[in-house]
Amino acid sequence: QCPQKWKRVFCTLCNSKKHSRDRCPSIWRVYLLKDDSKNLKEKVLPMHKLYCYNCGGKGHFGDDCTGRRSSRVPNDDGSAFSGDNLSTNLK
Amino acid sequence: TSNTDYPWILNHDHSKQKEIADWLTMEIKDFVAYISPNRQEIEIRNKTISKIRAAVRELWPDADLQVFGSYATDLYLPGSDIDCVVNSKGRDKENRNSLYSLASFLKSKELATRVEVIAKARVPIIKFVEPQSQIHIDVSFERINGLEAARLIREWLEETPGLRELVLIVKQFLHSRRLNNVHTGGLGGFSIICLVYSFLHLHPRVVSDEIDPLDNLGVLLIDFFELYGKNFGYDDVGLTVQDGHAAYIAKYDWRDLQSGRSPFTLAIQDPGDPSNNISRGSFNLRDIKKSFAGAFDLLTNRCFELDMATFKDRLGKSILGNVIKYRGKLR
Ligand SMILES: [Zn+2]
Ligand SMILES: [Zn+2]
Repeated sequence: QCPQKWKRVFCTLCNSKKHSRDRCPSIWRVYLLKDDSKNLKEKVLPMHKLYCYNCGGKGHFGDDCTGRRSSRVPNDDGSAFSGDNLSTNLK
Repeated sequence: TSNTDYPWILNHDHSKQKEIADWLTMEIKDFVAYISPNRQEIEIRNKTISKIRAAVRELWPDADLQVFGSYATDLYLPGSDIDCVVNSKGRDKENRNSLYSLASFLKSKELATRVEVIAKARVPIIKFVEPQSQIHIDVSFERINGLEAARLIREWLEETPGLRELVLIVKQFLHSRRLNNVHTGGLGGFSIICLVYSFLHLHPRVVSDEIDPLDNLGVLLIDFFELYGKNFGYDDVGLTVQDGHAAYIAKYDWRDLQSGRSPFTLAIQDPGDPSNNISRGSFNLRDIKKSFAGAFDLLTNRCFELDMATFKDRLGKSILGNVIKYRGKLR
């Protein structure tokens, strides 16, 4: 039996199946928010300022692009340029 | 100990930080403070420039000498050349005769040694070393675009917290891998500034006004290497900054860019001339991209490693050390 076949990766920090806990991006992708960010309710995301690193288009981030991926380097875990990389009330 | 390899961490231990990203932020600030010139170095530099300027005015009363490039914007690494330009009212100094007369005048005043006159280049220059300070100086003639770029960059630095710190780290990183020289296909200073400026203004957490970049330099540095090392669509996307507004532009829509070369090129629209790509000389994009991806891997691996280590093992350790490889003189 191939041992690889039975190796199942799972991260107990973020529930991802793409990496193990000791290699979780959430270990380093930690942002120190501005003090006034706690009352983010008044803040709205300026959609006209979002640009896509993948197609150059407006209104979405590169990770969320529906077009064919331009870079040949894979992006399995997701990057900073994703709608997921925002506080919950801004998503 | 390893302390001598990374002199900026001496007496600046942050190994007890709870978040590894905060540790990296603090180490970036320590490194920037370490390579920034002290008062004495600034005085020597200013005195040297004043002496050269006085000599230029003595030779040509209608001319003036000004500093541009990294020295004009405070974005230089220790030991960098100072870029100067001579502009005159008659705008008639960009010829062989003028180049040689200034060169021999400076020599006769003992203001220049190791003088080289490069008269045939696209941009003719004189290179020399000022003997008292040992500072290397490049002088070009009758050009104002460098001065305009310096003024624009100073504006950007004022309105963009974190720009100076990240540019200096990225510059040092590329310098240590010999990828910061445009003559060998590397990234020039203005291109580096545009990449960081665009990154900072388009980052989701900055766009949403959730963070102060100065409190988040560590994670932002990793995000920077991740964007330009792994994800950016160089084949299809270019960068542009017009009127202080950072944006991407589909290469398909940028008509002046059309050329027969491979689509895998970095395209940065010149803020002063939309038809010009300021990074067209950076033909070694493959190695630049690879080195950014390598920096991402080195930094994140180091974060995982130190996150697991005991406080005893973390003591006196550097996160940046292997990435930026500073081999300059000790300060
Ligand atoms: Zn995880
Ligand atoms: Zn897109």
